[in-house]
Amino acid sequence: MMVAEMNAMQMSKIAVPVIQASRVWKQFGNGAVTALKDVSIDLRENEFTAFVGPSGCGKTTMLRIIAGLEHPTRGRVSMNGATITGPSPERGMLFQAYTSFPWLTARRNVEYGMKLLGVPKAEREASAMEFLRLVRLEKVADKYPGGFSGGMKQRVALARTLAQNPSVLLMDEPFGALDAQVRWEMQELMIELMERERKTVVAVTHDIEEAIYLADRIVFFSCQPGRVKADIQVEFKRGRRFPKKEDLLAQPGYTELEQHLFAMMREEIQAAAAAA
Amino acid sequence: MSASTVQEAIVERATGAGGRSELNESPIYVPPRARIFEFRSKPSPARAAVFAAVGLGAFFLVWQLGHYFSSDVNQKFFPSPVQVLTALYTLFAANNFLADVLKSCYRVFASFALAALVAVPAGLLMGSFKSVRALLGPLVSAWRYLPAASFIPLLLVWFGPNDTSKLALLFLGVIFFLIALVVDNTEAVPNEFIEAGLTMGASRSKTLMDIIIPAAAPAIMDSLRNMIAVSWTYLVIAEIVGAQDGIGAVMMRAGRFLKVDIIMAGILMIGILGVFTDVLFRTIARLSMPWAFKR
Repeated sequence: MMVAEMNAMQMSKIAVPVIQASRVWKQFGNGAVTALKDVSIDLRENEFTAFVGPSGCGKTTMLRIIAGLEHPTRGRVSMNGATITGPSPERGMLFQAYTSFPWLTARRNVEYGMKLLGVPKAEREASAMEFLRLVRLEKVADKYPGGFSGGMKQRVALARTLAQNPSVLLMDEPFGALDAQVRWEMQELMIELMERERKTVVAVTHDIEEAIYLADRIVFFSCQPGRVKADIQVEFKRGRRFPKKEDLLAQPGYTELEQHLFAMMREEIQAAAAAA
Repeated sequence: MSASTVQEAIVERATGAGGRSELNESPIYVPPRARIFEFRSKPSPARAAVFAAVGLGAFFLVWQLGHYFSSDVNQKFFPSPVQVLTALYTLFAANNFLADVLKSCYRVFASFALAALVAVPAGLLMGSFKSVRALLGPLVSAWRYLPAASFIPLLLVWFGPNDTSKLALLFLGVIFFLIALVVDNTEAVPNEFIEAGLTMGASRSKTLMDIIIPAAAPAIMDSLRNMIAVSWTYLVIAEIVGAQDGIGAVMMRAGRFLKVDIIMAGILMIGILGVFTDVLFRTIARLSMPWAFKR
């Protein structure tokens, strides 16, 4: 009955919330700093959500709470109805800092996550090569990431996370440390992966262009205390993903949304400057 | 004109009709001569070798000259490099110095192995868990300020003038510094590595074994290499007191008979062993952790 209902809901394109955050507060330093003030967000299945906003507005804190790496001061965050109390491989995470392990070859890195899940060795090895091929690192499968470029290191971590097949993928400014060209390549790779691997994704980013390119939905955070200022469905894409970024830029509605987001960003930055 | 035609036109102009032949017609660029004093620039291997030889040669030359210009009386107290090397050779050939060297090596390596066996796990736990650090941290920092040499009388009373007291002194000399270094090395492991492990579903013990230990291992290896050098410096102190054997004991005996050449030979021997130990540790690190060196 339950399953049938779920399928029916998916069929009718009413997305089911996978992650539900309700009335989440996060305070640091015994209440001295309120990073999140009464934030409620539902993340729907297979939707790509971008958390956008100026620095220090609780975007990353919210992401880390969803990951289970931090606990809310008040409120509840749940996944498929169960309260999140700690990290889980169901919610894979990609960090801004490179987390490919330098002591393991690219192949062993990708295998490591699967090993933790108890995937048998043969299956693990085959699967690792498949994911390395997907992120175009099959040629350096047996090399250590120490000599890799930033983009390659990040692709190893991405392959490792995807190989665990998490239903939710959390990304904390995953391309923030990369140069413009590599960031662009990684964004297009993400689009390709999203087409292949159906996942619920949340990405924290400062990059408005990146948010519009990747996301179906943009949640804009305002500052001090961090709360949701705007929750925007990227309507003009009409659910399409664009393998080439320049094709998106030509879409009607793109510029308007970008202008709107930049205006909000300016508003927030000026408010923060006035408050200081 | 389409985009590709524009590009082709540009390429054509750049390479010209002949392509390669034009490259040969282009004037040869003669770089300025490499200067000796150039900020942050590495000398060529040949030049570096010459510099190293000059540095070492100058040292021995000054030493030799110092000896040469000393008065006859003082020459006995300031032997020449050749005399020191001769003394070292004689020690090995006639006085079974090898047994003393091996004894000293045993003392340094055995005490250091014990110290590492305690310090590495303790440091890893203290660097990983703030609660363990709170438990042991104050104790360890306090011990670091107690000079190891001040324990000699105590160790002599407890263990007597035997190997045990020497091993204990060498152990005390390095253990607390080693713990502090391993704590730093462990804390330097990026948080993201640990969090990546946790979000992949690694248990705490798996995170410690699979992530923290390998991530900290190269730095810990460096700490061990640096601290065993300190252990060598404590050796002579340990062997001064009531030792019958070992490099330090030989040097102390020589001192009693004003045999400066033998004292210097002992110093030289410890230096050689120190360099050897350093190379040994580097080699072990290179072989066991190739990923930390390959670039």
